Amino acid sequence: MRIDKCWFCSSAIYPGHGITFVRNDATAFKFCRSKCHKNFKMKRNPRKVRWTKAYRKLAGKELAEDATFEMERRRNRPEKYDRELVKKTVQAVEKISGIRKKRQDRHHERRMARAKAGQVAQDKAALEQQIHLIRAPASLRAKAKDAPAKEKVKVAAEQRAGDAMQE
Amino acid sequence: MPTYNFKSIQVVPPAKDFIDIVLSKTQRQTPTVVHNGWQITRIRSFYMRKVKHTQTTWHDKLTQILDDFPKVEDIHPFYGDLLNVLYDRDHYKLALGQLNTARNLIDKLAQDYIRLVKYGDSLYRCKELKRAALGRMCTLMKKQDASLKYLEQVRQHMSRLPSIDPAGRSLLLCGYPNVGKSSLMNRLTRADVEVQPYAFTTKALYVGHLDYKYLRWQVLDTPGILDRPLEERNTIEMQSVTALAHLRASVLYLVDVSEQCGYTLAQQAALFHSIKPLFTGKPVIVVANKVDARPLDNLGPEEQALMQGMASEAARASGADPADCLMSMSALSETGIAEVKTAACERLLAHRVEAKVAGKRITDVLNRMHVALPKPRAGAAKPRPPVIPPGVAEARARRDAGEKRRTERDAQEEAGGAGVYSADMRKQYDLKDPAWRYDIMPEIFEGHNIADFVDPDIDAKLAELEREEEELAAAHDAEMAALAEGVEELGSDEEADLAAIRKKKKELVTAHRIRKAAAGNRPVMPAKHGSRGDKTVGRMRESLGALGIDTSAAEARLRSESRGRKRARSAARGGEGGDSEMADADGGAAGGAPAKKRVHSSKSRSMSRGRALSTAPPTPSSGLKDAAQRNKAVKMADRGQRLRNKAARAGEGDRVIQTKMPKHLFSGKRGMGKTDRR
Repeated sequence: MRIDKCWFCSSAIYPGHGITFVRNDATAFKFCRSKCHKNFKMKRNPRKVRWTKAYRKLAGKELAEDATFEMERRRNRPEKYDRELVKKTVQAVEKISGIRKKRQDRHHERRMARAKAGQVAQDKAALEQQIHLIRAPASLRAKAKDAPAKEKVKVAAEQRAGDAMQE
Repeated sequence: MPTYNFKSIQVVPPAKDFIDIVLSKTQRQTPTVVHNGWQITRIRSFYMRKVKHTQTTWHDKLTQILDDFPKVEDIHPFYGDLLNVLYDRDHYKLALGQLNTARNLIDKLAQDYIRLVKYGDSLYRCKELKRAALGRMCTLMKKQDASLKYLEQVRQHMSRLPSIDPAGRSLLLCGYPNVGKSSLMNRLTRADVEVQPYAFTTKALYVGHLDYKYLRWQVLDTPGILDRPLEERNTIEMQSVTALAHLRASVLYLVDVSEQCGYTLAQQAALFHSIKPLFTGKPVIVVANKVDARPLDNLGPEEQALMQGMASEAARASGADPADCLMSMSALSETGIAEVKTAACERLLAHRVEAKVAGKRITDVLNRMHVALPKPRAGAAKPRPPVIPPGVAEARARRDAGEKRRTERDAQEEAGGAGVYSADMRKQYDLKDPAWRYDIMPEIFEGHNIADFVDPDIDAKLAELEREEEELAAAHDAEMAALAEGVEELGSDEEADLAAIRKKKKELVTAHRIRKAAAGNRPVMPAKHGSRGDKTVGRMRESLGALGIDTSAAEARLRSESRGRKRARSAARGGEGGDSEMADADGGAAGGAPAKKRVHSSKSRSMSRGRALSTAPPTPSSGLKDAAQRNKAVKMADRGQRLRNKAARAGEGDRVIQTKMPKHLFSGKRGMGKTDRR
C-alpha cells in the first residue's frame, strides 16, 4: 500500500482512488481522477498544461530541484527492516517536510518580490511613454517652461567645428 | 588443386564454318542500313564499326580457343607427356601458336583498315575498304584450316581421356600384354574393361575406383608393354610408360606364370629389369597371376630364381622386404586378389606418409606444436586432499548419525495437515534482532510513503539538510532585503495618472474594435458627411482642454474666418423657376437670365475636342502639385486597374501551346484525383 503520484498532474493518489492504465509494454500510468485520465487520452503533454505540477515546475513557478526531493524518492532496492531505522525515519519525515514547506514558501516569496519589481518598472515605463494619452505634449512643455529644471548651455556649431580643425 | 577435366573445351569449327560464324555475327550485330546522303563521318563510323566488330569477334573466338586448350608447360608432367605421346607436342604447340599469330595479325590488320576508313571520302570507298579488311581476315583464317581441324580432333580425343588425378592415391597395373591386367582391374573395381584373349586389347589408359580404408583409390589399367628399346615403342605402350614414369602410384607388375600369354617367364623378367628404372622410389609388387593354371610351387628352379630376382629388384627399388614384394593370385578363380589389393594399398599409404615426413612441410607443423609435460612439484610429499568446510562436514556427520531435520511439512502434519495449517512466513525472517520479526511497519505517514525515506545514513543526511537550511534562510533574508531596497514605488499622483492612461487606452481600444467590427460589412461613410455634427468648437475645447491645451486662440481664429449666416433666398431669383418652360420654348434667348451653355450643333459637337486632361490644373484640394503630377497619378491608377497577363500571351492572336504533353501531366501511375492536376 502506498501513495502514488498521478502521471498527469503529480498529485497524490491515496489507496482506493484513481485509475490505472497499463500499456501493452507493461508501463503503468496512474491517474488521480477522470480529468487527468481524459487529458492523457487526449494525448496532452502535462508539461504544456498549465494546471499540472509538471508545468509549474518547468516554468519556475514552483520549487523544482531541492535536496528534500532527493531524500524522498522511490527505492528500487528495499532496505532490510530495522526498527531503529524506521523510528528515525518517521521522525525525519516530519522534519524534511517542514523544511520543504519553508523552502517552497521562500521560493514563492522571492518570486513575488521579483514580480513586484518588474511591475513597478513596467508602470514607470508606461507613465513615461504613454502620458500623451492624457496630457498633450504642448501642455507638458508649457508646464516645463513654468518650472525650468536645468539650464542648457548652447554651444555654437562654428565654434565646435573650429575646435575640430585645430586638432 | 586443378582437376584435369578436358571435357569443357569448346568445339573448334573448321575454317569455313568459322568464317561463316564470324561474318554472320557481324551482320546480325551491327547496323545494316547506310545511305549515301549521310554525313561522311556517320558513314565512316558505320564501316569502322563493322571492321572493328569483326576483329573483336575473331579475337574473342581465338582467345577462347587458346585459353581452353591446356598449355603443356602448365599442366602436370604426366599429362604433359601424355599429350606429347598422343598428339605430338610439337604439332600441338605449333597449331596453337599459329592461331595466336593469326589473332595478332587480324588485330593489326583491323587497326590498319580502320585507320584507312577514317580517311575514306565516300560511301563507296569506305565500303570497299571494309570489304578488303573482312576479306583479308577471312583469307588469313582460311589458311589456318589444318590447325583448326587438328585441334578439333585433339579436343575430341582429350574429352574422352580418363580423368586421372596425378596427385591422388592410385594403383598402377602393368606388364606384358595379355597377362591379366584388365581382368584384375575388373575384379578390383566396377570398371567394365574389355578383356579379350589377344594382345593389345587395352589400347589406352583406363581408370577405375575403389574404396579402401574409407579412402578413394584410383586403379589405372595400362596397355601392355613389350620388351624393346624406348625409341621403338609405339604410342600405346608409351602411354603405359608415361603413367609409370610420372604417377606416384603403387605399381603392380603382373607376371603370367602359366605363360598362356605367349611370353615366357624369362621374357617377362627381362621386361621387368629393363623398365626397372621407372620403379625407383615407388612401392612395387610383383604379382604372379594365373596361379590357378600353374601354381607357384610347380615352377622349376630356374623360374623360381627369376621370380626371386624380380622380387628382390622390386624390394630394392622400393626399399622393402623381398618377401613382401612377391605375391600370387588368380583373377579367374579370384584367389589372392584381396590380399594383393590390401598389400598394395598399405604399402602406398606407408610410402606417402614417409614422403611427407621426409619432406619440408612436416617441420612447419612440428614448429607449431608443443606438448607440455608438467613436472611434479618440489614439495610433492605433502598430500593435497579435497577441502570440505567444517559446517558441511558437521551436517554430513549428523545426517550419517541418522538425525533428521525438522521440516515445514512435519509442522504441517502436526498442526492438522494441509488446508488447516497456515505456514508462518515471518518465522524465518533474517533480521538484526529476532524480536522485530512480528513488528508492523507503518507505510503511510502524513501523506508520505515511509518507504521512500528509508535510508541507512539518514542521520547524516538530515544533519546536512538542516545545516544547508540555515544557510539558505540567511541568504534568502539578505536577498529579500536587497530586492525591497531596489524598488521605488509610485506616488499617489503617478498612480492616478497611470489609472487615467489605462482608462484612456481601454476606451481607444474599444472604439477601434467597434469600428473594425463594423467596417467589414458596412459602407464607409465619408468623413465630411459622417462626423460633421461632431466637429464643434465646444467639443474641441472639451477634448483638447482635457489634454491641457488652451484652445482660446484657435477658437478666436475660427470665429474670425467663419462666414456669417447666409442671407435667405430672395423671391426675385426663385421666381424665374416658375416660367422656365416658357424660356425653353423661346430658345433660351428670351428673359433676363443669361444662357448657361451654348447649344452645339451636332457637327460642331463631334468636331470639338475636350480639353486635354494634362493641361487642366489639378483641383486645389486634391493634394497634387501640378498637372504632371496629376497625370502620373492617373497613369498609376490605370496601371493598377489593368488586368494582369496571366497566360503570358503576346497578344490576342497568340494561341500557341508551348508543350503539347507536359511530362508531369501524362507520366506516372494515376491514383486518386484528376488527370490535369498532378
